[in-house]
Amino acid sequence: MRATPPTQGLAVERWAENNLRWLLPAPTVLVLLALTVFPTIYMVTVAFQAFNPADPAASAFVGLANFGRLFTDDKFHNALGNTLLFTAVSVSVEFGLGLGFALLVDRYVQRLTFIKTVLLLPMMLPPIAVAIVWKLMYQPQFGVINDLLIRLGLEPSLWVSGHGTAMLSLIVIDIWEWTPFVFLMCLAGLAGLPSEPYEAAEIDGAGAWQKFRDLTWPFLRPVVTIIILLRMMDAVRLFDTVFIVTYGGPAGATETLSYYIYKVAFRFFDIGYAAAISLFMLALTVGFSTWLIKRMRLED
Amino acid sequence: MNKLCKALAVAAATVSFAAAAAAADLTIAVPNGSEGDGLRAAAADYSAMKGIAIDIVQAPYANLFEKAANAGSTKSGAYDIVLMDDPWLPFFAENGYLEPLGAYYQAIGTDGPDNDFLAKSLAVCRSPYATGRYVCLPYVGNAQMFFYDPEQFAKNGLTQAPDTWDDVIAAGSKITAGGNQQNFGYVMRAAEGNPVVADFMPIFWSYGGEMFDANRQPNLVTPEARKAMEVFLKLKEISPPGVESFNADEVGTFMAQGTAASSINWPNWVATFEDPNQSRVVGKIAYSAIPAGTHAGSSEIGHWLMGITADSKNKQAAFDFMIWATSPEQIKKSVTRGNPPVRFSAFTDPELTSKPQFRHFPVLMEAINFSTPRPRHPKWPEIENAFGAELSKAVAGQISADEALQRANDAIAKIVAR
Repeated sequence: MRATPPTQGLAVERWAENNLRWLLPAPTVLVLLALTVFPTIYMVTVAFQAFNPADPAASAFVGLANFGRLFTDDKFHNALGNTLLFTAVSVSVEFGLGLGFALLVDRYVQRLTFIKTVLLLPMMLPPIAVAIVWKLMYQPQFGVINDLLIRLGLEPSLWVSGHGTAMLSLIVIDIWEWTPFVFLMCLAGLAGLPSEPYEAAEIDGAGAWQKFRDLTWPFLRPVVTIIILLRMMDAVRLFDTVFIVTYGGPAGATETLSYYIYKVAFRFFDIGYAAAISLFMLALTVGFSTWLIKRMRLED
Repeated sequence: MNKLCKALAVAAATVSFAAAAAAADLTIAVPNGSEGDGLRAAAADYSAMKGIAIDIVQAPYANLFEKAANAGSTKSGAYDIVLMDDPWLPFFAENGYLEPLGAYYQAIGTDGPDNDFLAKSLAVCRSPYATGRYVCLPYVGNAQMFFYDPEQFAKNGLTQAPDTWDDVIAAGSKITAGGNQQNFGYVMRAAEGNPVVADFMPIFWSYGGEMFDANRQPNLVTPEARKAMEVFLKLKEISPPGVESFNADEVGTFMAQGTAASSINWPNWVATFEDPNQSRVVGKIAYSAIPAGTHAGSSEIGHWLMGITADSKNKQAAFDFMIWATSPEQIKKSVTRGNPPVRFSAFTDPELTSKPQFRHFPVLMEAINFSTPRPRHPKWPEIENAFGAELSKAVAGQISADEALQRANDAIAKIVAR
């Protein structure tokens, strides 16, 4: 009896089986390349060009000129300063409040899940809706906050309309919206702590602060690192609240790096310079993240 | 494996057929608001009449510019027609994103648009301004007007429309002084960027200011500009607190609530002021030309223009639609949909002008005829941003008027030199 030669379909099947470990992740890798790697490489190349909106293919190579502008552009310096201030203050306060609420709920309010739900509500709202509502609340003439202040006999404020109060007003919005996230992460971290060291500390007569300093804080450090990294990366990229509430004003008081990049790229169509600022922002974020992780590991 | 391949092939074919069937005959990019809504309704009528599919892409003001500019630079042909703000025209025209209309007009036996269009409405459609070839047709006849409450002004010593900015300040100061922080003589747009520049320019021009000199260099450090800034800051003093973040919405709200007695604004706000569901001042707001300074007042023109994109694959169909949409009949219909007209016949049509919501038409037509466009420069968005940043600082009291003008002048000089 003659042997039947293998069909083409069988050969394809065999090849697919042998190369399954490459084929299965291939669609994901292609999407990643298309949506992440290619745009990043393109952005790096554009950062070294003077983009020509009439003929993008004919954009001239200008070397480091776009990066050189970072040193002389006072609007960039203003945006950088605003971003650093916003990030430092909002992340610090969110962390303090979130950890505090988590310790409180973990110790005293374990069974009252409705309190946990209420504390989480701001985080669940769409950021655009949050920004619009706060903008209305901050309105100096018709807003509910000034109305309340007047009824309490206090001086109303300009809030987002005042040069000295606009950034603080945005920080308050961010704290209101994202403290629940920190609270949730800390609560999850606290739930995973072992009980035996605390029992031993109790027997040894350690006080609440000692237990926090010597047990809770070291155990929570990995979670704290993640929280600060995530919130910091989010805060540095602040855009939607600025776009809705202040348009970067008044007088540049709330113009952040993201909002400035948006203006440079999409209003002035200076794509090369916008790419250079974006790369600077990427370097800033990566640099801080690397330093923080190393620092936290050293303390371990 | 064979069955899987066949199934994938059938799915791919189905998707491509469906995509081909769903492709529109025309795609039009429009802004949010009455301008875009009006053109959307017109497109629906045209679509029903001609049996073609028209896709409307509607976006907020700033996003519309981005979308259209990106489509132009990538030559995607994503839009056949863009309804654009007139200050954008130099950017789009000088970067080759718009199709000149001359050949299309010649094909129908004319040189260009008919003379029922207002002259200034057509001037902003040409590149270079007023003298170059047509690259757009006007659709929405926006130009700023001066809105005021004659009752409040009369109670404070001004029994007619204010002729000069000094009149406005004199009456407005009394209204604010007696208003107990609940009523103000004036309200302005002073949010950084386009809002504050749009409010400042009519005052700037009414004191003889010129943004650029004959060599297209910035010209802001002049006695005329200084005087205009002085007046602008005096108007700020009689405006509500918080104007540093006000845009057109806030200004319109203050006027509609009767909390402010005067402002510069766009004519689309007339419909709001005359709507009893939104306004406490129905029938109480009067409209006049921009007050004079040392020169006659001149409102800022802000028309919305339709242009065919250079990479459109349906240019003739786009031109046919534009000719139809800007015809006398359709412009009249557009008026009933909330858009100010661009034709003399619509401005003087007794069927329209006899209605209370169009009683401002004579003032608006005069405003357009004596209007000034924003400086025609391809980098105007960046120039406006730089100018607006310094104006905003002056309004916020961060820097003096002289410092603001000098810094703006220097920043604009750097931009135009690049």
